[in-house]
Amino acid sequence: MTEFKRETLTVNGVKIILLTAGSGEPLLFLHGAGTFHGFEFAKPWADKFRVLLPFHPGFGESADDPAMNDIHDYVMHYVELLDLLGLDKVNLVGFSLGGYIAAKFAMEHGHRVRKLVLVGPAGLRDDKHPTADVLGLPGEQLPAMLVSNFDVIKPYLPTKPDLDFIGDRYREMTTTARLLWEHPYDSKLPRYLHRLTMPTLLVWGEEDQLIPSQQAETWRRFIPKADIKIFKGAGHLVLDEKREASDAVQNFLA
Amino acid sequence: MSGNARFNFMHFLPYVHLPENHKEFKSLWVDFSNKYYDPKRGHTLYQRYLSELVLADRLGFDAIVVNEHHNTAYSMMAAPNLIASAIIPQTRNAKICVWGTPPNLEYPNRLAEEYAMLDVMSEGRLEVAFPLGTGMEYWANPINPTTARERHRESIAIILQAWTQDGPTKFFGEFYTYRFLNPWPRPYQKPHPPCYIVGTGSPETVELAAELGFGYSAVFVTKQRALELNRKLRERASSYGRTIRPDQMPLGVITYVAETKQKAEDEGIEHIRYFFEDALRTTPEFLNPPGYISVEQLKIRAALADKLHGKFDFDAVNEAFFCAVGTPDQVVDQLSQWGETMGTNHFNLMAAVGNMPNWKVVKNLSLIAEEVIPRMRTTAPVARRAAAE
Repeated sequence: MTEFKRETLTVNGVKIILLTAGSGEPLLFLHGAGTFHGFEFAKPWADKFRVLLPFHPGFGESADDPAMNDIHDYVMHYVELLDLLGLDKVNLVGFSLGGYIAAKFAMEHGHRVRKLVLVGPAGLRDDKHPTADVLGLPGEQLPAMLVSNFDVIKPYLPTKPDLDFIGDRYREMTTTARLLWEHPYDSKLPRYLHRLTMPTLLVWGEEDQLIPSQQAETWRRFIPKADIKIFKGAGHLVLDEKREASDAVQNFLA
Repeated sequence: MSGNARFNFMHFLPYVHLPENHKEFKSLWVDFSNKYYDPKRGHTLYQRYLSELVLADRLGFDAIVVNEHHNTAYSMMAAPNLIASAIIPQTRNAKICVWGTPPNLEYPNRLAEEYAMLDVMSEGRLEVAFPLGTGMEYWANPINPTTARERHRESIAIILQAWTQDGPTKFFGEFYTYRFLNPWPRPYQKPHPPCYIVGTGSPETVELAAELGFGYSAVFVTKQRALELNRKLRERASSYGRTIRPDQMPLGVITYVAETKQKAEDEGIEHIRYFFEDALRTTPEFLNPPGYISVEQLKIRAALADKLHGKFDFDAVNEAFFCAVGTPDQVVDQLSQWGETMGTNHFNLMAAVGNMPNWKVVKNLSLIAEEVIPRMRTTAPVARRAAAE
C-alpha cells in the first residue's frame, strides 16, 4: 500500500508540508478548501507518477500567511514551489478551490503545465448554474452537500462536538474567505481561459451540489479542446467517491 | 468608588412585534426576514423610544447611549447618528454617546464628518465609540471579516488624523487613499470628542484602546471576564505610558428598580428573559464569520457557548452578568460594590431591556433618577455643573 512521505519546506518564508509518493513524471495536486477528507484517492496515481501533494498555506498542516490574500498569491506560491523543487514542467490536477488556482496557474504559466485536469473547479461565474456560497452555508449543512453517498466522508467527521475539528474548519474557512469573501469568482477568467492550450480534462460528479456539473460545459465554451468526464452517483468529492474518476485522471495524464 | 459617578441610559430601540412562530427561527439576526418589520408599528416604537431617550435627559441622567446593528429585530438603529441627531435639539445637558457606528461600515471621512456635525450641533456633548462591529454586521455589509481588524485600525487612524490635523492632509493606506482629507465641519471639542472602544473582549481590541488611550467597555462578557479585561486594559495602557481613568471603563449593567425586590423581579425578569432568549438569539456562524476572530478565540467561545446552552435561568444570568434588579437600596449597594471592584465610576445602565413596555421604562428611569443616582453622587456631575454655570 502506498504511503505518503511528509516533507517540510519553506517557500518564500512560508513553512509548508508537502506529501509525496511514487516516482516518474511529476503530478502536482492542488486540494480544495477543506482538507479533512484526506487524499486516499491520490494513492493509485503513485503507481505511475511522482505525486506532489502540498497543503496550501493556511490549510491542513501548512502554516498561515494572512498576507496571501488573493488567488494570485497562491499562483505565485506554486511558481515558487516548482522553482524550489527544480521542476520545469508538471502535470497539474486541481480540485475545487485548487482547480481555480490551477486554472489561473495554467493561464499565466502554460509552459510549465504538461497536461491539466480540473476537478469540479471553482472560480467561474455561471449565473444559470450558480456555485453554492460555501462561506454562507451553515457548517452543519456542508458535509452532506459534499457527496452523493454520505458514508464516503462519514469516517472523517467527528461523532461528537470536537473543538479541534471546529477550529480546523474555521481556520480553513478563514483562509478561503481571504480569497473569496468579496468575489467568489474571477470575472476575468472568460477573457483569458483560451490560453489553456495544453491537453485539458474537466472532471465532475454529476450530483455536485456545490458547483453544478453543468458548469463543465460553461468551462468548455472557453476551452474548446477540453475533454469532459462526468461521473454518475458522485457529488463534489468525485475523486473520493468514484475510483473510476481517479483512474480517469491517471489515464488522461499517462 | 470616588469622584463623580456617572450614569448613562442605554437604549437598544428593539423591534418587539415578532411573529408568533418566532421561536422557530434560530436567529433574529442576519437572515431573519425583514418582511416581519411593520413600518407603522415601527413608527410608533420610534416615537415612544425617542420620548424615553429625551426623558432620561430631563430626569438628570448624565448621558444617553445609542449604538448600531444591522439586519435585526434586536435594534432599530441601523444608523444611530440619525437617532442622535433627532434627540440633540430635544435634550439640554446629557452627553450624546454614539457607541457607535463600526468605522468599517462607513467611509472613514464620512464618519469623521457625521460625528463632527453631531458634536457641533450639540455644542460639544458628543462621545463616540469605535466598535469593530459584531460578527453579524459582517454578514449584512460588504466588508471582508478576515481583514476587519486591520481595516478598523486604519479607519480610526484616518478619523483621528482628520480631527486633529489642519486639512487638507493625505492618507495612503492599505484600504483607503485620501488625497484631500479635509472634512468640514471639525469637532466642537478639542482635540476631539471622548473616544471609546466597545467590544466583547478580544485581546486585539483591548490592545487598541490601550494604545490609543481610549476608554474600553466590554459588552456581554461575564463579571469575571470584565474584571480581567479592566485589569488588562490598565496594564496594557501603562505599557504605552498611559493611565486609564475610572470613567474610561464604563460598566454595562442591566438595571431594573422597583419598590420591592419581589416587584422588581416580577416586573423586570420577563423582559430580561426576552433580551437573552430572543433579542440576542443567533447562530455560531453569524456570531463568528470566517476570520472575524482567531482560531484560539473561536475555540474558547465555542466551549463557553456549550456551557451557556440551555433554557434561560435568571439566577444563572444574575450570577454571571452585571444585572441589578431590586429596590433602590439594593441597586445602590450593588452598583457601589461593582464600581469598587471594577475600578470604575461610570455606569452604563441598560434600563429599557428587551420588550419592556413604556410604563415600566418610565417608572424604572424615574426611580433610578430619584432614588439611585442622588445617593451615589459624591459631587455634582460634570454635565449638571456645566449647565448650572
